[in-house]
Amino acid sequence: MLSCGGFSYEKIIVENLKYKYPDTDQLALNDVSFEVEEGEVIGIVGQNSAGKSSLCLALTGLIPHFFNGAYGGKVLIDGIEVKTSTITDLSQKAGLVFDNPFTQMTASKYTVYDEIAFGLENIGVSREEMIERVDWSLKMMGIENIKDKNPFDLSGGQMQRVAIASVIAMRPEILVLDEPTSQLDPQASEEVFRVIQQLSQEGITIVIAEHKMEKLASFTDRILLLYEGKQIDFDTPQKVFSRDDLHDYGVVPPIFTTYCKAMGMKNKKTNTYPVTLAEVSSLLGGENNEWNKS
Amino acid sequence: MKTKSMWSFRLSTAALVLIPIAIGINYIGKTIAAGLKLPLWLDSLGTILSSMLAGPIVGGLSGIINNIIYGITLDPVSTVYAITSGVIGIVVGALAYKGWVNNFAKALLLGLVVGAIAATVSTPLNMIFWEGQTGNVWGDALYAYILSQNGPIWLASFLDSIVVDLPDKLISVLLCFFIFKGLPKNVKRLYQNNQRFEEL
Amino acid sequence: MTLYVKQDSLIHEIDPITKVIYAFVAALLPYILPSHTVALIVLVISIMLLVVGKVFRKIIPLIGLSLFLIVSLVIIQGIFRPDNVTPLFHFGPIIFYKEGLSYGLLLMLRVINLLCAFGVLILTTKPDDLIQSFIQKGMSPRIGYVIGSVLQLIPQMSATIATIKDAQRSRGLETEGSLLVRIKAFLPLIGPVIMNSLISTRERSIALEVRGFNAKQKKTFLHEVHTYKYAKVIQAVLILIFIFAILWRIFL
Ligand SMILES: Nc1ncnc2c1ncn2[C@@H]1O[C@H](COP(=O)(O)OP(=O)(O)O)[C@@H](O)[C@H]1O
Ligand SMILES: [Mg+2]
Repeated sequence: MLSCGGFSYEKIIVENLKYKYPDTDQLALNDVSFEVEEGEVIGIVGQNSAGKSSLCLALTGLIPHFFNGAYGGKVLIDGIEVKTSTITDLSQKAGLVFDNPFTQMTASKYTVYDEIAFGLENIGVSREEMIERVDWSLKMMGIENIKDKNPFDLSGGQMQRVAIASVIAMRPEILVLDEPTSQLDPQASEEVFRVIQQLSQEGITIVIAEHKMEKLASFTDRILLLYEGKQIDFDTPQKVFSRDDLHDYGVVPPIFTTYCKAMGMKNKKTNTYPVTLAEVSSLLGGENNEWNKS
Repeated sequence: MKTKSMWSFRLSTAALVLIPIAIGINYIGKTIAAGLKLPLWLDSLGTILSSMLAGPIVGGLSGIINNIIYGITLDPVSTVYAITSGVIGIVVGALAYKGWVNNFAKALLLGLVVGAIAATVSTPLNMIFWEGQTGNVWGDALYAYILSQNGPIWLASFLDSIVVDLPDKLISVLLCFFIFKGLPKNVKRLYQNNQRFEEL
Repeated sequence: MTLYVKQDSLIHEIDPITKVIYAFVAALLPYILPSHTVALIVLVISIMLLVVGKVFRKIIPLIGLSLFLIVSLVIIQGIFRPDNVTPLFHFGPIIFYKEGLSYGLLLMLRVINLLCAFGVLILTTKPDDLIQSFIQKGMSPRIGYVIGSVLQLIPQMSATIATIKDAQRSRGLETEGSLLVRIKAFLPLIGPVIMNSLISTRERSIALEVRGFNAKQKKTFLHEVHTYKYAKVIQAVLILIFIFAILWRIFL
């Protein structure tokens, strides 16, 4: 975590990243630059078409290797340059999970257990290690009880956890999630967020594009704000969500921030508004005099 | 950028993923057509679409695998026609690549050609396996009529096939033509394997 | 989607490749040697294997699927076969001939035999095992993926079809009405499903690529395919029979 201090190490380095899809004439990513340290949790926010998905694809090598198009700048994942690497090699560094649980199933395996082993079979992991890794993934995702079910017989939330399990079985140190709960009901979303936080506690670096700002505020270290492919801000949730121009970028801050803004409740020290319920209540409770009505 | 030949066997992941989807579409078409009691099979829409999208190799594989899998799961008789399905995929794929799906008139011609070729390929298979019959009510009635008029078996068999195949393939190709035209460009380009990214 | 029946039997223990060879040899023998006796012998053997495999009853619906073809073969050949000369019996003006009926009977035996021979394979072999065996024999794992995926997607598509049929009912698109009406109903019904399935290929491709689908390494397997002690012997015998039948046909 950021607050750990001491030696920190750049897991992700993005430098002047530019990208244009084939047959389009607008840059989907326009000069994006940021760095992520080991173990950090980064939220990507922005309105529709801001470039969130494109950035997720660029971190995992799908851009440019799957989508082609025009590419500029540099992305380093754990020291490996994306442009000259392959999707397969990168998949063992940075895993990708996206919104649609259904299309993330390989559709060629008949049990959850086999589904999770799919990637490991492809990269030639030995049987013993495969079993060990699949068991670990099942446990991390809390889905041991459905390991013999057909993936397509699962609920959306279960399927999404199988998708995450399948990706983390590849043992990436970075997990990139593109709106992983946008197609799930609230309860399933909660479960998915819970397992993501658990992975973060295991030390996995996490990048997550998400519209649920309250959620992001509660567990991200920094927020990357995108607008029309451009990077507007990259800072702590408090700083980003306290921006006055947030609405211009089509982003609605967490409800607590909106409330405190309206009430003029600001943290004097940092000059930011609270972003979580915990911060609001500590401010109201007055236990922490860091927060005061201005 | 040098464009790769349409006959390349190095298939992209998307092209491979397209094959099972194509076979699934074949199945949906067949089931819905039967549900609407249409006098057509409409069981090769997926094969035809995959050929239009990804070329003759993917189309041919879709056709062959389609019938083999039907054979080993639902209806063993269909295995026999794996060759016909494969040829349909190859022909549509090659001709689509040559521009035969650029407009309606050409697609119409493509439909007729595919129907005729399908019947031509099926006839020897029908001759070998079931003395030229097809198991289709209308086709077999015509077959019986030709034989009763002392016509040769091969002719009876060919006509048996063509009364079934020609209208079916013609309508199928036209339906696929409309669907193909309606697909977004970024889906159509997904299956080609001849791309590289450019530097910005 | 699979016709595989889980059972504990001698036939289930045989490895997939041996059963594939059996299916082909048994299905083709009556075509190579066109005699009722050969067809009958092979058919009886296949039926015995089905009985030993405890799946005999499952073959009946399979044969039922091709019933029209089978019946049609006997009737049409019986009446119309060009070399018909000896009338056997008649229904009103329709005369059935001995030659045609006999030939129709052979055709019928061949079709039923083909169904039973493949039945032995299909009903007693798990599709995954079959695919994996082929991959280990050198088939491309990518083609293995395609086959496995078809078997998984077809039931999925069946569910889609049920949804389509509901939509059809609620939109009042009846299965009745003139032919033109029904043809016109077809495209709006399946057009959107086809579009969506095609568009879904992009995301599925991505999901596969991020799980090493294009890896250059040699693949490993989670499950070990069971081997069968007598595989080599049985396979050799089957192939010998096949070669012998072809030689017999050519030279005798
Ligand atoms: N496959 C594609 N082909 C062409 N343009 C695309 C494609 N995917 C996304 N885009 C375009 O790229 C821009 C960024 O989209 P995206 O990264 O999906 O944004 P977000 O995830 O924030 O909604 C949009 O203008 C979108 O239309
Ligand atoms: Mg998106």
